[in-house]
Amino acid sequence: MQITINNIPVEIREGETILEAARRIGYTIPSLCYAPGARHKSSCMVCAVRNSANGQVIPSCTTYPTDGMQIDTESDEVKLIRTLSLELLLSDHKADCEAPCSMVCPKGLDVERMLSHYDAGDHEKAFLLIASAFTLPEIGCDNCKVPCEKACRRGSIDTSVSIRAIIKEVVDGAKPSQATVEKLDASVKNDKNTFYSRLGRFTPKEKEQLKETVTTPSRCLHCACAGRSKCKLRLYATAEGIKRPRYDTSSTLPVMEKQHIAGDLWFEQAKCIRCGLCVYNSDNGFTFKDRGFGMQVVLPEENRGNIRRELADLCPTGAIYLKQQPK
Amino acid sequence: MACNCENNIGESREAMIDRVDALIDRIGRSRQVIIPLLQALQDEFSYLPAEAIDRIYERTEIDRAQLISVSTFYSQFRHIPYGKHLIKVCTGTACHVKGAGNVYDSFRRELKMEEDSITTSDQLFSIEKIACLGCCTLAPVVQIDEKIYGHVLPGKVNEVIEDFLANVETASVASAQNSKQQVAGEIRLGMGSCCQASGSADIYKELQTASNDLAIDIHIKPVGCVGVCNKVPLIDVVLPDGTITRYPNVKATEIKEILHHHFKPAGRLKRLKNNLFNHIDTFHTDITWDNVIWKPEEERTGVIDSFLNGQKHISTEGYGFLAPLNIEEYIGHGGFKGLHKVLSTPDRQEVINNILASGIRGRGGGGFATGKKWEIVAASGQKEKYVICNGDEGDPGAFMDRMMLESYPFRIIEGMLIAGYVVGANKGIFYIRAEYPLAVTRIRKAIELCRERNLIGERIAESDFSFDISIFEGAGAFVCGEETALIASIEGERGFPKQRPPYPAVEGLHGKPTLVNNVETLSQIPYIIRNDIDNYTKIGTESSKGTKVFALAGKIRHGGLIEVPMGITLNQIIEEIGGGVEGGEKLKAVQIGGPSGGCIPAHLCDVQVDFDAFNQMGAMMGSGGLVVLSENDCMVDMARYFLSFTCDQSCGKCTFCRVGIRRMLDMLDKICSGKASMEDIDKLEELALNVKKSSLCGLGKTAPNPVLTTLKYFRHEYEEHVNGLCKTGTCKEMVHYVVTDDCIGCTKCAKACPVNAIPYTPYEIHTINVQDCVLCGLCIDECSYDAIKKVPLCR
Repeated sequence: MQITINNIPVEIREGETILEAARRIGYTIPSLCYAPGARHKSSCMVCAVRNSANGQVIPSCTTYPTDGMQIDTESDEVKLIRTLSLELLLSDHKADCEAPCSMVCPKGLDVERMLSHYDAGDHEKAFLLIASAFTLPEIGCDNCKVPCEKACRRGSIDTSVSIRAIIKEVVDGAKPSQATVEKLDASVKNDKNTFYSRLGRFTPKEKEQLKETVTTPSRCLHCACAGRSKCKLRLYATAEGIKRPRYDTSSTLPVMEKQHIAGDLWFEQAKCIRCGLCVYNSDNGFTFKDRGFGMQVVLPEENRGNIRRELADLCPTGAIYLKQQPK
Repeated sequence: MACNCENNIGESREAMIDRVDALIDRIGRSRQVIIPLLQALQDEFSYLPAEAIDRIYERTEIDRAQLISVSTFYSQFRHIPYGKHLIKVCTGTACHVKGAGNVYDSFRRELKMEEDSITTSDQLFSIEKIACLGCCTLAPVVQIDEKIYGHVLPGKVNEVIEDFLANVETASVASAQNSKQQVAGEIRLGMGSCCQASGSADIYKELQTASNDLAIDIHIKPVGCVGVCNKVPLIDVVLPDGTITRYPNVKATEIKEILHHHFKPAGRLKRLKNNLFNHIDTFHTDITWDNVIWKPEEERTGVIDSFLNGQKHISTEGYGFLAPLNIEEYIGHGGFKGLHKVLSTPDRQEVINNILASGIRGRGGGGFATGKKWEIVAASGQKEKYVICNGDEGDPGAFMDRMMLESYPFRIIEGMLIAGYVVGANKGIFYIRAEYPLAVTRIRKAIELCRERNLIGERIAESDFSFDISIFEGAGAFVCGEETALIASIEGERGFPKQRPPYPAVEGLHGKPTLVNNVETLSQIPYIIRNDIDNYTKIGTESSKGTKVFALAGKIRHGGLIEVPMGITLNQIIEEIGGGVEGGEKLKAVQIGGPSGGCIPAHLCDVQVDFDAFNQMGAMMGSGGLVVLSENDCMVDMARYFLSFTCDQSCGKCTFCRVGIRRMLDMLDKICSGKASMEDIDKLEELALNVKKSSLCGLGKTAPNPVLTTLKYFRHEYEEHVNGLCKTGTCKEMVHYVVTDDCIGCTKCAKACPVNAIPYTPYEIHTINVQDCVLCGLCIDECSYDAIKKVPLCR
C-alpha cells in the first residue's frame, strides 16, 4: 500500500502506523501517549496529523494507513493543533520544572538539590554542591541579598526556608579539605530557549495541606521536578517555542503530593497528563478515577506491589520517576 | 453495652456479606459483569459500601483497578450513603431555560444544606442535579424518590417538600377491587413517564375507585404516550358505539363527573344516590363549577387537533390507542407482519436493497445510511454477530427514545429481529439508560411475551432463524451513546470511545461484527418492510426520507412529543404544531440537537428538517431535542449551559475534549461575568474550532457546536457581554434588582425573600440590599405590581 506523507509517496510496511512510517522517512512528529512496544490508546493528540484527502485530523500513533491517504504533518494548521494540545495539557499542569530558588541564585547554585542532600542528612554532598558553585564557600551567602528566600514557595505558605542559615550550617560543619576533593557540575542552566512550567499560586487548602505534611529538617517543598530530565512534555513545549501560557491554569489534581511506590520509585499526580500508559501497562496497578476534566490516574495503596520500575521510563512526564529516598 | 453494639455491627456485616454473596452467585464473577453487579449492589444497599466491595475483590475476577475505574466513571454509582429521600432536580434544557438553577438553590436553602454537602444534617434528604428526567413539557421538574413534581417554582419548594412528606406518612397501597362483569365502554389513559409525572397514576387510581363506587363496568386501558405532553393527564372516553370524547388536563376530582356524564351506574338506587351526592358536591365545593366537561368541544380539543394534524405517525403508529404491552393488539394492527415477510424472503440481500432504497438514515444523530451499515455487518462471514439497540438517549431535552421504548416496545423488538435476521446475527441487546426504569420494565415484559409466542428464541416462527434478546442497563454516561463507548461499557470497561476504524460493524462487541442502531431507526424498519418502499420514500426530502420524532419544548405554547415528516420547516413546527411561542413573546432561535447541535436563529427557521441542511448551518439533527428560545433567553448563557453539560460528560480520554472544553467553559464563564475582553471571544472561537477538529469521538467533535453557532448568529450578544450587558438579565453577575416607583409597599416581596435582602417596610417603597441578594427571582414572581426590575450593571 502506498500513501503520501507531505506529498512524498511512501510504501507502507506491514503493521506500521502513520507515526512510524513518518518517523522512518525522517519526519519528527512528537508524541506523548505512545511508546514503541507498549500498550497504548491515543489520548494526547500531540501527534495529530491531517489527512488532506478528507480533511480529517487524526492521531498518527494509532491510525493505520489506508489507501489514498495524503498525510500532512508540517502545515500551519497541524502545527497549531500540536501547539494547542501542548498548551491545553500545560494549562492543567500545576507544577514547576525548576525550583524558583535555584533559578534565581546569582551564583548558579542548585539550591533545591543542595537542600535535598541536607534533608537526607548528607551534609557532605550538600557542601560539595555549594563548593562547586561558590568560589569562597566559607563566606557562604553573607554578601548576597538571598533572592532565593524571596522566591521560595514555602514563603507563601508560612515562612521561607532559611536557605542562608542552612548554607552557613553546612559550610561551618564541613571539613576544609573536602572543597578540593571534587567539583560537581551543579549549576542550573537557565536557558532562555527552554520551557519552564511554573506552579503559580497555592489555594488556601493546598497551603494548609502542605504546611502539615512537609516537615523535613529544611521544610523545603522540593519544587523542582525530579523527572524533568526525561520529561517529553517540556521537551516538546521547548521545541514548539511555547513561552507564556495561552490559557489560565487550573487543575483538579493535588499539588505536590508525592506518593512513594517502592524502592526509589515515586508518583506525583500533579504532573500526570492522563495518557494512561501506566494504566494500560500495569496489571491491577495504576487506574483511572472519575471522568472528564476531573479524571485522575491513581495508584491504590494496595496495588503498590504490582508496579514495575520500568514504568518510570514509560511515563512521558515527571509523574512517575526514580529518586533516592531520603535516608 | 459497647460490646453489644460491636456484636451487632459484626452480625450485620456478616449479613451484608451474605447478601453480597447472593448477588454474586446470581450475576456472575467475570470482569464483564461488573456494571450489572454494581447496579444490583446499589439496589440492595442504596450505595456501594466498602465492605461489599472488598467482598467483590475476594470472590470475583474483578480487581481493584477495574472497580475504581468503572465505579467512578458512571454517575449512577454512589460511594457514600445518601439521605433517606433523594431529590433529583432536572437540569435539562427545557428546565434550564425555565429556571431549574434557581429551583436547585431554593431546595438547598430551604433544607439548610451545608455548602459542600448534598445531604441534610438529619440525613433525611439528599439532592442532586440530573441531566434530564424527560418531562420537558412540565419544566421545571423535580423528582423526589419516585414522585415527580412538575412546574416547580423556586418559591414553592417548601410546599413540594411538605406535600412529599405528607404523602410519605399516609402512603398506603390502595388495591382496587376488580368487580367488572360487563364492559360498558373504555377509558384510555396515557401512562408514559410524562403522563405519570403529571399525575396520571392518581387519575388511574381515581378511575378505578370511581368506577367501583359507581359500579360502572368500564375497561380502563393504559396506553402509551399520546405525545400531547402539555395537555396531560389526558383521557379518551370510548363508548361502545366507538365515539371518542377527549378530555385534556383532567383532575382527579373531575373523574366522577366525567364517568357520570357518559355512563349510567348499574343500579337505580345507586344512580340516585350518586346524583344526589354529586349535586351536594357541586354546591359545597367550587371545584366542579369550572368543570372540564362543560367546556365546549372546540376549546377542549381544538389545540390538540392542530397539534396532531401536522404530524405523520410511523414510529409512533397507533399512538393513543395501542396498549404498550398488548401483543395481540399489536399483531392485530399489522405487528410482526414485517418480520414474517422477511423470514419468507430467502434472499437477505433483497431486504438490504430495500432498506438502502428507502433511504433511511440513522436517527441517533449522525445520519449514516442504515442500509449501508446493515450491508457491512451482513457481509462478514463470522458466525457470531450482535445487534444492539442504542437506547442510551442522554441529551438534556430529548426523550423520544424513552417514549418509544415505553409505548411501542413490540415495534422496536420487531425492528431488531428483522435487522438480526438480515445481517445474520443471533443475539440482540437493548442498551437502555438506567434513568428510564419504566422503559426497562416494559421492554423486559415485551421480550417475555414475544418469547411465549416463539417470536424470540430458537427457530422463530418455524423458520431456521434463532435470535435471543437481553437488556443492558446503562449506568449514567452521556458518552455511551457513542457506539464504541457503548460497547466498551457492555464489556465492563469505562465508557472510553475507541478509535474507528475498525468500525463496530466490522469489529464490535467481543471483537465480533456488531450492528448498532438507534431506537427510532429500528422502530421505522417494520413500516418500511411492511409497506411499499414508495410509501416511505415519498415522505421527506431528497436526502432525508421518512419521519423524525422530536421532543418539542422550551418557550412553546404546546410542547410535547411530535413525529413529523422530514422536509417540514421549523416555522411550521413552531407555529402550526406548537401554537407559537409561549406568552406571545418573539421567537429568537431554535436549539436543535441538544449539546451536539446548534442554535438556528429565527430568520432562518424556514429551513426544512433535513440532515444535510442542519449540518450546513452548523447545527445537527442530533437525537431530536427541539428547544424553542424566546427573546428573553440569553444565547451566551445557552452556549455555556450546553458546554457545562458536555464538560461534565466528557470521558476524559483525549486532550481536546477533556481540557479544551474546560478552557472554553472558563472563557464563557469569564464572558458571562463581564470580565472578558474582545480578544477572549476570538480566543474562544479559535479553541472551539480546534476542539471540533481534533477531538477523538463524536462528543468532542460536536460539543463546540452550540458555541460556534451562537458565535456565528449572535456574536453581538457576546460583544454586549464583554461590555457588561446581558440584555435578558440571565447572567446573574451582570444584573441587580431594583424596586421601581410602582411599588405600593405590600411587603409580599419582603416575605418571599429567602435571604432577607428586602427589609420589611409596609406602605413604603421597598428596597433591595444588593449585597445580600442572591438574584433568585422570587420577589419578581411574587410582586403583583411588576415593580421589581432586573437592571444591567453596565460598565
